[in-house]
Amino acid sequence: MKPVEEQGYLIVATNTQNTDYVNCSETLAKTIKYWHPDARICLLTNEQVSTGPLFDYVHAFPFAIDTVNPYANDWQVFDATPFRETIKLEADMLITSPIDHWWNLLRHRDVVVSTGCRDWKDQPARSRHYRQVFDANHLPDVYNAITYWRLSKTAQDFFATVRNIFENWPHYRAMLKFPEEAPSTDVVYAIAATIVGPETCTMPFASYPTIIHMKRHIIAAKRDPWVDEMICEYRDYELRVNTIMQRGAFHYNVKNWRYGR
Amino acid sequence: MTTGALIFAFNNEQTDYVTMAAWSARNIRRHLNIPTAVVTDAQPEDPRLRGFDQVISAAPASGGTRWFEDYQATVTWHNAGRTDAYTLSPWDQTLVLDADYVVASDQLKAVLNSDQDFLAHASAYDITGVDNFTGLNEYGEYHMPMSWATVMMFRRSEHAELIFDCMRMIRANWRHYKDLYQIASSTYRNDHALSIALTIVNGQTLEYPSIPWNLASVTPEHTVTRTSKDCYRIDYVDQDKRPRWTSIRNQDFHAMGKSHLEKLIETR
Repeated sequence: MKPVEEQGYLIVATNTQNTDYVNCSETLAKTIKYWHPDARICLLTNEQVSTGPLFDYVHAFPFAIDTVNPYANDWQVFDATPFRETIKLEADMLITSPIDHWWNLLRHRDVVVSTGCRDWKDQPARSRHYRQVFDANHLPDVYNAITYWRLSKTAQDFFATVRNIFENWPHYRAMLKFPEEAPSTDVVYAIAATIVGPETCTMPFASYPTIIHMKRHIIAAKRDPWVDEMICEYRDYELRVNTIMQRGAFHYNVKNWRYGR
Repeated sequence: MTTGALIFAFNNEQTDYVTMAAWSARNIRRHLNIPTAVVTDAQPEDPRLRGFDQVISAAPASGGTRWFEDYQATVTWHNAGRTDAYTLSPWDQTLVLDADYVVASDQLKAVLNSDQDFLAHASAYDITGVDNFTGLNEYGEYHMPMSWATVMMFRRSEHAELIFDCMRMIRANWRHYKDLYQIASSTYRNDHALSIALTIVNGQTLEYPSIPWNLASVTPEHTVTRTSKDCYRIDYVDQDKRPRWTSIRNQDFHAMGKSHLEKLIETR
């Protein structure tokens, strides 16, 4: 698609049996618009959603979709975005502080997939519990929850590689130690980054946005879901977890936690 | 601007904190050249109090009981009054020191000369290197970073007052904060209250200024003796169970084993 705007946020939402990702996207869009009323947001979904105060664009997936693994359609974001520069955000997140400085931090590459994540104390995650396949296969520690690209040959190649991996998963799977049965977007992005060269699409050395990842082993919670034992205070779009202020992209993971926000 | 050091000294069944504080006051005057005040329940005519510039009488506030390795006994811990330091201090700028903090140098002058309204240590370490302090530099199941109340410097300011107000609030609602951060011990600790207060007062974040070096510590399992003025010997057993010793000169430290410090003062 030819870009019609310079920059904006893209949220992908394919509802599943258990999760209303469109509703997650609405909550996320609300938080982006609170901090940045002029931000442009595109929702990529095949659900019936109208444009309005939250979504400036609602685009359908431009190509046929994989209905078995909804994540396998992620490569279509490159063709679907209406923006020359895009920050793709995962739907089940909240933005809890201004993020417009991200654009300056991310422009150092044509493509930047965020590397590493943080806990609710703003400390880099130390647990490798969820990243065994990455470590075993020496894959970059990427999180697709924040991905930046601008219209470029590099981005085109990156997403073409992502598509190739999704569509030929049995071939790639055979090369991995401890592979997943169905490919997750993070693993596919990591393989794609390895193929195109991590130096072209990651910046692990730099200070730049990473998600707050509220998964049990990362946050040292004693039980699932974490919301059962930690105290959250949400007011005026600011969020505190156990009294600590959360900044940036808060990946809550517990999908129904967002209701009422 | 007036400056001085404030030491809390409430004796319990095992430890003579007043004598310890009097010895510390002499070291403070010698190295830092500032007056000292003691907050104590000792009788004003007590000869041990003569070495202080000011004596502030107060009732002991117990934070509970605590097992002390060097005494091999559980003793009453009169630590809860520390939150009143802001109100009790007679000075504009105050250095609050634990009675068992040994001043053997003028390094705290750097803290007194800093522009901050409040400073404390953000990390401590074992001088011998035998004990790993990772667990002591955190608190609770969520591994919250600890600030140490052993040395606190504050200037009269809204910021510092808020920190002490907040510590009092935390002490009054200790059960809530203990549960919130999943702190296993039910005994109130000033270090915990200070750590939580600094988080709250500094915009609910874990980013705040601290003393720019770590707190040197001697654990209760190790023995401290004085070899000469401002020179101390620490005897310990290493990981291979071999007896070792090290000596330190002109280095402040936190003597966590009160009994060794008491003996050291008796034999000076």
